[in-house]
Amino acid sequence: MAEAGGYSVPLLARAPGDILFRLPGQSVSAAAFLAAARALAARLPADGPPGALVGAPRGGAIGVPVVNLCTDRFGFALGFAACLLRGRVSLLLGDRSAPRLAALAAAYPGLHALIDAPTPDLALPATMVGTEPPAAARSGEPLPAFPADRLAAIVFTSGSTGEPVGHRKSWGALAARSIDAGRRFRLRPDRPAAIVATVPPYHMYGFETSVLLPLHAAAASWCGPAFYPVDVAAALAACPEPRVLVTTPLQLRALLAAPGSLPPLARVISATAPLPVEMAAAAEHRWGTEVWEIFGATEVGSIASRRTVAGEVWQSYPRVRLRQSSAPARVPAGVAADDDPPAAGVAVHAPHAMPWPLSDRLELCDPTRFRLLGRRTDLVKLGGRRVSLAGLTRILTGIEGVEDGVFVAPDDLETEPTARLLAFAVAPRLTSDDILAALRARIEPLFLPRRVVRVARLPRDPLGKLPAGALAALRAQADDA
Amino acid sequence: MLTNPMTARQSATSEQEVAQLIVATLNLDIAPQDIPADAPLFGEGLGLDSIDALELALAISRTYGFELRSDDARDRQVFASLRSLAGYIDETRTK
Repeated sequence: MAEAGGYSVPLLARAPGDILFRLPGQSVSAAAFLAAARALAARLPADGPPGALVGAPRGGAIGVPVVNLCTDRFGFALGFAACLLRGRVSLLLGDRSAPRLAALAAAYPGLHALIDAPTPDLALPATMVGTEPPAAARSGEPLPAFPADRLAAIVFTSGSTGEPVGHRKSWGALAARSIDAGRRFRLRPDRPAAIVATVPPYHMYGFETSVLLPLHAAAASWCGPAFYPVDVAAALAACPEPRVLVTTPLQLRALLAAPGSLPPLARVISATAPLPVEMAAAAEHRWGTEVWEIFGATEVGSIASRRTVAGEVWQSYPRVRLRQSSAPARVPAGVAADDDPPAAGVAVHAPHAMPWPLSDRLELCDPTRFRLLGRRTDLVKLGGRRVSLAGLTRILTGIEGVEDGVFVAPDDLETEPTARLLAFAVAPRLTSDDILAALRARIEPLFLPRRVVRVARLPRDPLGKLPAGALAALRAQADDA
Repeated sequence: MLTNPMTARQSATSEQEVAQLIVATLNLDIAPQDIPADAPLFGEGLGLDSIDALELALAISRTYGFELRSDDARDRQVFASLRSLAGYIDETRTK
C-alpha cells in the first residue's frame, strides 16, 4: 500500500487471541473481530460512483460518508471498523431524530446508514450489522493499516447554537489518544482491564473509552446492557478482574444511591461534568477503588485526567501539551473542522490533531498540568453536552410570532439531575405548547426548556440588555407562579 | 379472580399515583392529572430523556421495591406511556 509521505497506523495493536469485546455469554477475540469487520466491510457499498464525492462545508471532498446508527456497542464498533476497512468516513451523532437525519442526508447526498436493529422509519439506504456468519479468524493476512492523517470519523455535537456541528477526527489522532489513555491508566497486556461503560458509544467519551480503547490498549469492552444500576452490577459480575467502570457523575450518583453491592472494582472513571469530591470519596470508600476523572471535549477528545480526591490539578495525557494562545486557531488544510474554533485561550496540542483552543478557562501550571477555572462563555452543560444560551435564545426569537424571548439556566443545572433549561417568551398570539413544538423541530430534546413561560415583556434595561438581577427576579416569579 | 389476602395491600398501582411520582421526582411543571395516560413519556409526549429515566428508576426502586433493568425496559416498553409504566409497576412491585 503506497501511502506516500505519512505513516500508517494499524486498525489493531492486539494479539490475535486477545479479547476485545464481551457480549453476554460471548467473548470476541481480536482475530474474530477483524474477520467480522472484514465480512461487514465486504457488504458495505463502495464509496459511490466516480464524481459522487461531496464537499464538506469546509475542507474539501471527503467522499460519501456512512452514518453509524448502531445502538449496540459491539455493532457500533464493527461498523466503525468496517467503514475504515472500506475507505469510508463514519458519522457519529447522538441525536437520531427524523428531522436531524433528514438534515444530515441533505448535507451529505448519497448518505448510507449502518443499523443493528430494524428501523422502519429510516429514510436512508442502510446496511444491517450483526448478520455476519460466525466469523472464522483468517491467519496469515497482514493487519490492515491506514494513514495517520486519514479522516476516519466526524463526530457531531450540538454546536454553540444548539444545531449539530461536525468535528473531524483523523485515524492517527483517534489511535494516539487510545494509546495514551492506556498508558495513563496503566493497562497492562499481562492483565487486561475489563471496561464496563455506561455511556453510549456515539458520544465522544464513550467512543474513545469503550470502542477505540480495546483496539490499541490492553482492555476488553463490555457490550451488553449497562444503563440502570442493576445492569451495571450484572455487567461487572460478568467480567473478570481488573474491572474499570466508565461512567458519569449522574450515573455514579444513581449507583451510589442504589441498593446492592458491586464486584471488586479496580478503577472508576468519570467524565462529562465536574465530579463533586464528596461523591468521589464516597465511591472510593464504598467500593474500595480509585475514582479518576477525564477532562476532554468532543472537539479534542480526552486530554487529561486526575484522581478527584487527590487535588484539583489535572495532568495531561502523554503527548498532549497545553499552551496559552493569543490568536484564534487557524484551520490548517487537511484537518479542517466544520465549525469555527473558539477565540484565543488555552490551546490543546496533540498528535495528528490541529491545535484547538478550549472553551473552558484554564490556569496552566506548566504545559502538562492545569487547574480548571470555569467556562469562558455563556455555555452551559447538560447531560455532558454544551450549549450556548445565546444560541438557543436566537432560535427562540427566530420563531414566527415570538417578539422577544430568552433562555435561562437554573443555578443547579450541572449538579441536579432533574434540572433543565427554562425559556421566557413574549408571544401574544402563541401558546406555550406552540412555542415548544416549534423549538422541538430545531433543538435537541435535552436542551428543550422544561417550561416556556409567556410574559408581557422582558425586563430589559435602557440598553436593551437583560441584567442578571432582573432575570433572577423573573425566574423567582416563574417559580412562584 | 379472588384476591390473595397476602397481597391485598398491593392495591392496583393507579396511573394517578405513578403520575404523582413522576412529577415529584422530576420536578415537572405539570399537574399529575394532566399527564395523558397513553402519550409517550419520552420524546414527543412528556419530553423526558435518558437522565430522567435513571432518576425515575431510582424513585421506583425506593417506592416500589424493585429495580428496572435495560432488558425489561427495552422489551416491555415500560416507558412507552404512563399506562404501560403503571401496569409494569403493578406486576413487578414488591412493596
